[in-house]
Amino acid sequence: MSEQVEKLIRKEYSAGFHTDIESETLPPGLNEEVIRFISAKKGEPEWLLEWRLKAFKVWQSMQEPDWAHVTYPKIDFQAISYYSAPKSLADRPKSLDEVDPDLIETYNKLGIPLHEQEMLAGVAVDAVFDSVSVVTTFREKLEEAGVIFCPISEAVHKYPDLVKKYLGSVVPQRDNYYAALNSAVFSDGSFVYIPKGVRSPMELSTYFRINEMNTGQFERTLIIADEGAYVSYLEGCTAPQRDENQLHAAVVELVALDNAEIKYSTVQNWYPGNEEGKGGIYNFVTKRGICHTRAKISWTQVETGSAVTWKYPSCILKGDYSIGEFYSVALTNNFQQADTGTKMIHLGKHTKSTIISKGISAGQSQNAYRGLVRMGPTAEGARNYTQCDSLLIGDRCGAHTFPYIESAHPTAVVEHEATTSKVSDDQMFLCQQRGLDAEKAVSMIVNGFCREVFKQLPMEFAVEAGKLLEVSLEGSVG
Amino acid sequence: MSEFQIQSVALASQQTAPAWLSHLRQQQTETWQAAAWPGRKTEAWRYTSLAPLENQTWQLAQACSAELPDDLVLSDALRVVFVNGHFSAQLSDPLPQGVTPFSRAQPEEQVLILAGLNQTLVADKHLFASLNGALLNDGLWLHLEPGQRLAQPIYLLHLQTAQQEGELAPVRILVQLGQSAEATLLEDYRVQAPGISAVSAVTELQLGANASLQHYRLNLEEENHLHLGSVHATLAADARLQGFTLASGSRLKRLDYHLRHLGQGADLKLQGIYLPRGNQRIDYHTEVEHVVPHCTTDEVFRGVIADTAKACFNGRIHIHPQAQKTLAEMSNRNLLTSPRAEINTKPELEIYADDVKCAHGATVSQLNDEALFYMTSRGISAAEARVMLSFGFVNELVEGLALEELRVWLRPKIAAIFAQTSSLTRHLIHD
Repeated sequence: MSEQVEKLIRKEYSAGFHTDIESETLPPGLNEEVIRFISAKKGEPEWLLEWRLKAFKVWQSMQEPDWAHVTYPKIDFQAISYYSAPKSLADRPKSLDEVDPDLIETYNKLGIPLHEQEMLAGVAVDAVFDSVSVVTTFREKLEEAGVIFCPISEAVHKYPDLVKKYLGSVVPQRDNYYAALNSAVFSDGSFVYIPKGVRSPMELSTYFRINEMNTGQFERTLIIADEGAYVSYLEGCTAPQRDENQLHAAVVELVALDNAEIKYSTVQNWYPGNEEGKGGIYNFVTKRGICHTRAKISWTQVETGSAVTWKYPSCILKGDYSIGEFYSVALTNNFQQADTGTKMIHLGKHTKSTIISKGISAGQSQNAYRGLVRMGPTAEGARNYTQCDSLLIGDRCGAHTFPYIESAHPTAVVEHEATTSKVSDDQMFLCQQRGLDAEKAVSMIVNGFCREVFKQLPMEFAVEAGKLLEVSLEGSVG
Repeated sequence: MSEFQIQSVALASQQTAPAWLSHLRQQQTETWQAAAWPGRKTEAWRYTSLAPLENQTWQLAQACSAELPDDLVLSDALRVVFVNGHFSAQLSDPLPQGVTPFSRAQPEEQVLILAGLNQTLVADKHLFASLNGALLNDGLWLHLEPGQRLAQPIYLLHLQTAQQEGELAPVRILVQLGQSAEATLLEDYRVQAPGISAVSAVTELQLGANASLQHYRLNLEEENHLHLGSVHATLAADARLQGFTLASGSRLKRLDYHLRHLGQGADLKLQGIYLPRGNQRIDYHTEVEHVVPHCTTDEVFRGVIADTAKACFNGRIHIHPQAQKTLAEMSNRNLLTSPRAEINTKPELEIYADDVKCAHGATVSQLNDEALFYMTSRGISAAEARVMLSFGFVNELVEGLALEELRVWLRPKIAAIFAQTSSLTRHLIHD
């Protein structure tokens, strides 16, 4: 077995390639001029520039947070380039034929359903190549339903009222260090608006790629589900292999108005660094949704990539009877570090939240769950159930749990459970006795361990997620 | 430096006796001076405000005479009484070999005490431990030879007379158990006047191989009393520590438990009950470190929070990389019995070894409606049912206490905390 395992350990990161496209990239550094440049480049209205500058001022006054259970060399924010756009994009292509063939090839390698796969996969893709959205498909079909799905830079011009109203309404500029940075320099991202009572006719999906050397990527996603609307949004990531650490500080804001439902799924497979812990992406993300009356927001994430992950998709349960859900699988191997979890802020009456978190640590990685459940003084009859389980594979990794529970209402009920253990010898024995090799047995046990989360994912994602875990774990057993 | 630090440093300079502790006081004063005063964002203090300490002029509590309270917990025990932080021979029983107040220590014993003090402490983790050192003038040294067993439990009673506003007293306990030694220690803190007062108490427990200690700590003081306490323990191979802590009262009560398994096969059982009412604040921080393999920890804390009180429970289990085959469990359950009560709980696991079984659980809720209905439908008044259910919630822990006299003493006390009138507790007191 060991030979096979050895081979699997050596397996190169399969999405690790680099497409050479001429980019228009700003020299590294960050100051007001850079922000003005970004804003001018996108032809943004005055209010948005002001908004960015305000965020920049706030950011300058803030300290980089150090409370997370992660260690990494200090980031030099002046060594990062804050704008990069594929050059051939000056004239936005009208169809796929006009798109740079190199780009298409990149997407094909990643298996993104963009051309013929579009119909088969039934997915509209707003593909973000570096910082500018290149092409959006299925727009017409969505338009028919009244769904707006476009790059946020476009939405600023076409739907300024909506953007102005909701941008920063869930994650304000001064929310945290990285959110402030993102607000100042955000490059592009997706904008989704589902009108009243509309059920999005398909699952919306954005694929992110970090492609330009030394380019921080600052996505900004804003999803608004109007009253009674429903949308399922998929986000998947992969990045070319390289040795220099890259910063990714995205902000995702979800607004679920009365009776609306948003389902947000992520499979994150950014380059985690090599076996020595060299390289890899720094993923410092702020994701938060607000639920109005009887609304529901469901976060599902499968985190297998990135050298350092710092991510807490959260729900503010503002409206009565609103529901928040968080399903997470976080797998770390080699020298990866993950500090991830969620915040459920219960404000409305009879609000409910469920947190299921599965952490798997292997190699010499550190995997921490950090969560907050807050029952406000108004959260009458609110309910939370939290379960976070950790699985340890190997004796040099760490698994940690830091749950914060704050309750200020007697009728609110909070339950928290956490367990940590290794793959049990009994389970392994049972599997091996039935002819499975150790590798397969572990893979199967881990898949079972994560089942509760995987079943929340849309089909295509669930398959991808299962495969990802298998690949990410290979080499950690035996 | 904060206002309180400035004040207490001045108080420390007034503390001149005994001379053999002056070097230690000096050292600790420096640590205390240099300590960063916590703000709202300091993780270990995010739920507890230190304002009651800062908005007050403090003075050292002086040695004086006092009377024993009527409701002593233990009668069949070796009573050691401290008044305002000073040993009182008059109120104490004659002390056997191995039970020595610092103020009575012979020169050769002073050397041993100095060598033992602060050995279990991690100073930067416990803000107020260095304050205790800076003010240190007396304390209890319990030193048992290998194999020695005390026939009776030691009943340490600390009385604070609090005759003047703002009296601050240091209390220090050093327990050193030799191999296979066994002892039982009950710490009982009392305040005899309702004025504002404070105690800084540090207990160090050093358990040798196969030693066994039952350690009980009762903090049922007045609301105007502030308590800054910590218990630090190290367990050598096969040592057994059973800890119990009960807290109610105080506008500010901070209790740190820091327990370390340093020898294989050590076993720890820690139980705690906190019952803040009125406008009280109780903050428990516990940390159990598993440094070596094959140790076990069982930690259970329960709280009932009433009125506008707030409680904080922060429990951490830390498994070091070598500590394989660890079994560790922690459970924290809370009842909120008023719309303005608040609980902040954070049960943490930090695990660096793979072959371990660790679990923690935390719950927060109110009294069960069905249980209340069941009782009221049988003719028990709603008020009485509430008292009975709250009592039952924490009585599970009291029932398990090995010290019978303490169980008997505690039941009516706890029942009285839940009930305003004695008629509500008539079902609870009998054994």
